[in-house]
Amino acid sequence: MDFSYKEKGLIVSLVVTLLIFGWYLYGAFSNLSLNPELPGFVEIIILVVWVAVLESIIQGFLALKNKSQLEDERDKLIEKISYRYGYWFLSACIWFLMVQILLDARFDHLPVLTTPYGMFHLLLLFFVLAEVTNFVAQLYYYRKGF
Amino acid sequence: MSQQTLAEKVGVTRQTIIAIEKDKYSPSLEVAFKISNEFKAPLEEVFIYD
Repeated sequence: MDFSYKEKGLIVSLVVTLLIFGWYLYGAFSNLSLNPELPGFVEIIILVVWVAVLESIIQGFLALKNKSQLEDERDKLIEKISYRYGYWFLSACIWFLMVQILLDARFDHLPVLTTPYGMFHLLLLFFVLAEVTNFVAQLYYYRKGF
Repeated sequence: MSQQTLAEKVGVTRQTIIAIEKDKYSPSLEVAFKISNEFKAPLEEVFIYD
């Protein structure tokens, strides 16, 4: 399979996001309890910086091999359409969470998810999944076309 | 003319030219006109609408 520079960059972003945030969220949801401490603002910043640094390093290596990194109309169109899918996914998740908070029905058997800790990590999970949706949609359109 | 050369002259990536050739992408009018100008042929000869 011949991947373009953009596709390779997307795969890198997808893998790095899944690895780092997946590792963090797995740890967070494994340690759910009724009164855990919320992660510090600095910890979250460090996590995001790690993702950005790793991506930049790998993208840098990829850029060395590619003569042209021009972003043309097709790249912008695919990006625009895919961001829409990510937005829709995130909107659906936020609406779901809002309804659950109001109804307070689903989480009766999982009260930990309604704690600040649980809610924070649920929201982070939704953001990460929206990003994953965006990356996957872009890869799909690059492969299959319109 | 190679795909890379055409891509550079038209201002898109080689992958976009490949996608156009494989019918996986319909270019904008601007790009379509630029491509047909490079081939010195009218638009209808270069692009066929099914």
